[in-house]
Amino acid sequence: MNTVLAVVAGSVGALSRYVLTGAVQRRSQSALPLGTAAVNVLGALGIGLATGGLHSGSLPLVVVAGFLGGFTTFSTWMVETVRLGALPVWRPAALANLLVPLVSGVGAAAFGYYLTR
Amino acid sequence: MPAEDQQRRRPTLERASIPLAVIGGGLVGSAARTAAGALAATPAGAFPTTTLAVNLAGSLLLGWYLARRERAAGSRWGLRFWAIGGLGSFTTFSAFGVEVVQLVEAGRSAVGIGYVLASTAGGLIMAAAGEQIGRTTR
Repeated sequence: MNTVLAVVAGSVGALSRYVLTGAVQRRSQSALPLGTAAVNVLGALGIGLATGGLHSGSLPLVVVAGFLGGFTTFSTWMVETVRLGALPVWRPAALANLLVPLVSGVGAAAFGYYLTR
Repeated sequence: MPAEDQQRRRPTLERASIPLAVIGGGLVGSAARTAAGALAATPAGAFPTTTLAVNLAGSLLLGWYLARRERAAGSRWGLRFWAIGGLGSFTTFSAFGVEVVQLVEAGRSAVGIGYVLASTAGGLIMAAAGEQIGRTTR
């Protein structure tokens, strides 16, 4: 049952990602795809909080993880970084698009994790 | 990537179908990710082979799909279903982030760094390879 809920939650996460990415992207003046960065950092914070122990008994961790798995995306981040000019010669925008979400995303997960543990 | 999809002034019927395509693709992608996690579960603090495999495979497929779609002028519906909903949901950044934290927490920081390197370098290579395949093959 939780598995089914996790899958459904993941598709709701996908729609949430589509909406939030679009909203950020429309307002963004940056050359970087900040919409993808925003969902990923936000989702990493969420999973950190949930895994650290914030999740209540009413909503199992697998369902929260399912939602955030659909909400965040790794493949879009990689393709967008490649398209900014990552291989074989690195452009500064591609390097920034790799490192900023990486550092802030892992940092957000750690922050959430240690905050709630 | 979604820039093309963010144009205004769409017909009403097309606007109404957008959430359905993303949700439908999200169901497929999430089900595949959940199945992979169930078939090959990795305990917290162990090297996250399953997430790595999912993220690398998804990066290859997304690079391939988008490059091929640009050549063949695929539908917007396909973009939303397969790319944004499907492969976007199949791969995950949140699991990646918390797994790095858990590896460090387990005192395996070197493994954590290796996981970050394998995911990012591998993901970029897979995305670029996918684009190359999508551009050059039928």
